[in-house]
Amino acid sequence: MTDLLLDILTTAGILFVVAVGLLIVFGVLKIINFAHGGFLTLGGYAALIVTELNWSPWLAAPVALVIGLLLGAAVERLIVRPLYSRPLDAILATWGLSIVVVQLITIGFGRSTQFVLSPVQGAVPLLGTSYSLYRLIMLIVALVLGGLIGVVMQGTRLGLAARAVIMNETLAQSLGINSELVRFATFSVGAGIATVAGALITPLLSIDPLMGLPWLLNAFMLVMVSGTSLISLAAASLVLGGAQVVVSTYSSPVLGALTIVVLAAVLLRIRPAGFARA
Amino acid sequence: MSAPMRDAAPARLPSERFRLELGGIGALTLLGLALVAVGPLLLDRYSVNILIRSFLYGSIAVTVDILWGFTGVLSFGQSAFFAIGAYACGLAFSHLDFTPLVAVAALGGGVVVAGLVAALIAWLAFGTGVSPLYISVVTLVLSIVFVQVIYAGGDFTGSSSGLSGFDTFDLSNEAWFRIAGVALVLVTLLGWIFVRSDAGRLLVSIRENEQRCRYFGISTSWVKGALLVVSAVVAALAGYAYAAYTDVVAPDLGDFQFGTMLVIWVALGGRGTLIGPAIIAVLIDFVSAWLSGSLPFVWQLVVGAVFIVVIVIMPQGLGPALAGLVRRLLPRVSRIQPTAARLAEAPTYDIETHMQMGHAPAAVEITGVARSYGSLHVLEDISFTGRRGELVSLVGPNGAGKTTLIRCISDGQERTRGRIAIQGREVGRMPPERCVRLGLGRKFQTPNVFDALTVAESLRVSRSRLERLSPWRRADEIHLPEAAMQVARATGLVAQLGTTVRHLSHGAKQALELAMVLAMEPSVLLLDEPTAGLTKPERTLIGGILVDLVAKHGLCILLIEHDLEFVREISSRIIVLHQGRIVLDGSVEEVVTSELVRTIYTGEPQAIGEPAAAGPGSDG
Repeated sequence: MTDLLLDILTTAGILFVVAVGLLIVFGVLKIINFAHGGFLTLGGYAALIVTELNWSPWLAAPVALVIGLLLGAAVERLIVRPLYSRPLDAILATWGLSIVVVQLITIGFGRSTQFVLSPVQGAVPLLGTSYSLYRLIMLIVALVLGGLIGVVMQGTRLGLAARAVIMNETLAQSLGINSELVRFATFSVGAGIATVAGALITPLLSIDPLMGLPWLLNAFMLVMVSGTSLISLAAASLVLGGAQVVVSTYSSPVLGALTIVVLAAVLLRIRPAGFARA
Repeated sequence: MSAPMRDAAPARLPSERFRLELGGIGALTLLGLALVAVGPLLLDRYSVNILIRSFLYGSIAVTVDILWGFTGVLSFGQSAFFAIGAYACGLAFSHLDFTPLVAVAALGGGVVVAGLVAALIAWLAFGTGVSPLYISVVTLVLSIVFVQVIYAGGDFTGSSSGLSGFDTFDLSNEAWFRIAGVALVLVTLLGWIFVRSDAGRLLVSIRENEQRCRYFGISTSWVKGALLVVSAVVAALAGYAYAAYTDVVAPDLGDFQFGTMLVIWVALGGRGTLIGPAIIAVLIDFVSAWLSGSLPFVWQLVVGAVFIVVIVIMPQGLGPALAGLVRRLLPRVSRIQPTAARLAEAPTYDIETHMQMGHAPAAVEITGVARSYGSLHVLEDISFTGRRGELVSLVGPNGAGKTTLIRCISDGQERTRGRIAIQGREVGRMPPERCVRLGLGRKFQTPNVFDALTVAESLRVSRSRLERLSPWRRADEIHLPEAAMQVARATGLVAQLGTTVRHLSHGAKQALELAMVLAMEPSVLLLDEPTAGLTKPERTLIGGILVDLVAKHGLCILLIEHDLEFVREISSRIIVLHQGRIVLDGSVEEVVTSELVRTIYTGEPQAIGEPAAAGPGSDG
């Protein structure tokens, strides 16, 4: 029982970390970044490079962050910015980018499945059971990341500007907020969080060029039911991720893989606002 | 544009244009069929093999274009319907003996399952109040679920490795080539005729402004659902042929990547062109197969990169971009002549014939209607009756609830409490399209029109409840009732029938929407500031037309207006709303002389209707 509870909590944490980059991009830019899966994959391969260079596994996330920030900045300039007024086309263009990323990785690293080193090994005793230390660390990362984004949004000038752009972009612009800069920074940070998330999840599973896809689909559905709120995303990760763990444990992993997308689709049909306040 | 009484400018008739275009597409069709006929004789065996598959993909790309390019329904799950057809074939021939009966039953089964799944998706996605993005989300989910179902099927479905090596039709590759090729040509031709027909313009009007369509009484959910089902059936047929020909089915036929690839082909070929997507789909799939041996990943990379570039710098796609280039290089061919149908008088429209004097129910009966948003009460306890032959003006300061009241009357979902009956029939919780069928017509506050259609096409769509739109022809005449015709003449719309609505002035758009609403021949007319943005002479003319409709044809008109002088001239009764309640309901004389109303409306005692007080404003 404790194991199940810990599984639910850590799964929610992992989902939150994977989806939050997509959420902030969707909130500020109003576009769905389908390259998010490609960015996750890229983060995974950043971790692989760190492993192959025999660097400390702790360096995987920082390396991934740098790659993601730079790539995000370039992609925003070249692809996303011309498509601000065409959000549907932005979905398609970022999906095209995702294809490009996957093919580049395939050319560079091959199609085979690979593994990376985990910075920590083994399990720790907790609440009368012993539990994977790395999964617990992921839960802490989720809490820290969520808290950090919350603090930036609530307590800094950039966050204030971002919130203004989320609420009413035209008005924000007329108040002298440089919404282009806000979008640029947000996309870059969103991509950075995506690559970090990709690097962080790799010790838990194998790496291959298509590893980002199932995560993208789950993250996309979580963002659809969360709107633009971090708290809704946390709630959605907990409820839908929890359902996934329960279904996988007591029924079959195949059904478990469907749980999030199906439940989110049903929820959106019944309540279009999802977990966000209507 | 104040009343140039010119009649229609010399425009080509729709049927002439249609015939001309049909000539072009006919030539293309013959060329396509000729290529399909000689293809197997000229091409090597490998190319023939590949092209069979490419042709089938081309057919699905055409259905994606009709759904997305024309109607605005973006489906990522067209692959799933294709795969349903393919698995119907694969499962039947793997588990049963190959007999003609089994073959036919499997085909029927695949088509029926695909159709039912599409109907379920349509029910989920096109219900009232569901977000327009939902169709994309739910079709994406469909493709994910499909793949997992196949995985879960174990030996029965072949799980991740799929099914292969089953007995199948004993046809030569040449025969399959011709079947798939002819199918592609036919699907494209029929699709082309359909989207160019009058009914096809309805698809575009749904894409452009679904709300306006619903307020013309068109059940857009039904139209979109029917299209989705037909597209699913076409995709399933293609899938069946694919499985029967290749002798292999695998889960990735139905996955999200293939569904998205179809969308990418359509975007590359040019949305809303049909032929572009068909050609691009065939071309890309064919070249992919050729290059998959030598440079598999590089080729995918190139497709992805080209796609990004096309989306960013050529939003309309490669087909139209190339066509534009050719047009610019050629010496100026004859300029495209505008095309527009002629206007003709509709058979007399006289609701008095329907009503027996004395016994007829009231046109609008509103009892105790309220509308709240949480604790905010926008309307409270509104009750009044609008009779035939009355022009009732709703006046009141901004935020009085006038537009909310109109909304409550025309959409059964809007009000919180109370009852509304139109022509004696309860509105209940009906959606707008069904309220409209009770005899309502609603003109919105800001012009609510179809930007991509011409004036004539817009009028045709607005009449679609009364004159069925043909799915294979374009009619030359639009029959308009006298009132709509008067508006069109008075505001100069008759001279602009071939003009795209996007290029009209604000005032002309207002006039067009009014003409469209009148073209529906409503018995109860809801007008929210119908003359805002029109010139003084045009307002006077429209005022006259409204008075005429009420006096001669017995309509009941509810009018929101800020120009009180205008209101005083044409109203038979005035209702004053203030803070969500009716504060006065009386004759023009009573209201004009009311001290209370003056205080509410202007903040200070002042005669209503004095030119100085007649400041137009906007209502929220």
